Amino acid sequence: MVEITPLFATPFAVAPVAGAAELNPALAALLRARADEQHRDHALPDDPRCFRGREDLFEWPDPAVLALKQALLGGACAAVMAANALSASEFDALGVQARARFVIVRPDGCLAATTVPMASWYVVYCVAAPPRPAARAESGVLRLYAVRQASMFMDAANWNLRPPFATGHHVWQPLAGQMAVFPGAIAHEVALNRTAEDLLLVAARLRFANAGQTTVPPW
Amino acid sequence: MVSGIRITPGFAVPFGEARLERCERLNRELEALFLARETAEYRNPTPSHLPQAEMFESRFNLFRWPERCVQELRGFVLDSVARTVLEASTLAPADSARLQMHNHTWFHITRHAGSFVAHNHPLASWSAVYCVRAGERIAGQPHSGALRFLDTRAGADGYLDEANRALRAPFAFGVREIRLEEGQVIVFPSFVFHEVSPFYGRDVRITVATNCWFT
Repeated sequence: MVEITPLFATPFAVAPVAGAAELNPALAALLRARADEQHRDHALPDDPRCFRGREDLFEWPDPAVLALKQALLGGACAAVMAANALSASEFDALGVQARARFVIVRPDGCLAATTVPMASWYVVYCVAAPPRPAARAESGVLRLYAVRQASMFMDAANWNLRPPFATGHHVWQPLAGQMAVFPGAIAHEVALNRTAEDLLLVAARLRFANAGQTTVPPW
Repeated sequence: MVSGIRITPGFAVPFGEARLERCERLNRELEALFLARETAEYRNPTPSHLPQAEMFESRFNLFRWPERCVQELRGFVLDSVARTVLEASTLAPADSARLQMHNHTWFHITRHAGSFVAHNHPLASWSAVYCVRAGERIAGQPHSGALRFLDTRAGADGYLDEANRALRAPFAFGVREIRLEEGQVIVFPSFVFHEVSPFYGRDVRITVATNCWFT
């Protein structure tokens, strides 16, 4: 009898957002209307195939955004707590900080691979996603790179390990109303959107502080 | 008071770069040959990643083709790899001369919206990419068809402040992006993850890639 356990595992959570079916149409209309120069993040290069808004989404007063913020923070906190050794009361005492932006990945657009600085967790929420073409399995997927555990030695007995031991990239297909939560240090990208419609996402950096903590680094 | 401080790169990753002089004739011959062989017969039958209609990948035996243009390219690319190894290692020339170099080599033809997912090359020590045709440069799309190398210092940029956000080369964090030019070859350690950004030109982008190992 052999017992196998995953070491150095990466938490990756997927959760539905309650009320998303009612929330998403209003949210999508709002985000599409504000995909303009005023709301674009000018610190990032302009990309006609991928609009990236400023990271101030959670400061908008619009009801749809406020509802989304509450839902995403609630879902993300549940995921983070589930991956933590902190007790519920210890976790409840933490303060959460978040910065969010919206992203519109247009046809033939993508989000290049990146990691997330100055945050411990990253949340990607799907507001609207076009149906995936049958022949394009990777269209618009969120791909998390398996860089950390990569080895250059490969043989017949380690190239095809089963989950969770496999070392290949992890792929998540965004579905409207669902959110993914993972550590911000994991390199990730949104693959090319090979449909004729936009993929609407909201992405948020999250970090937590102890009660009374005064030395929180700037974003 | 410190009057002088010496900074050296630790854990550095060697990248070799060379250019083939007067490459136009060779590249046009290669281009014509590759486009003629963009067929099922020459396609890689066991791709390691999901194939894309916009990206053709050949079998890995390119440098065994007898055509003169291929053999000419073989000489340049493998010599570039060998010289990079010599420059980056403590091997004496006499010791390196005794090594046998092996390679897997193939070509890529990329059309509009073609790309290649991040990967590295296990069981090889050095890799190289040669540019046969850079493809159309599109205004406002500076990343089109770029060869992107991921930072090997995973997690190092997780904490940024004003004193490490703007490190100068070669210490800066982040992806290293190269827009290949025709006749240019880049040599790098095979462990480095790399990818090709979506190509938005209306023509084709053609590259030759090789993985090398030594016995």
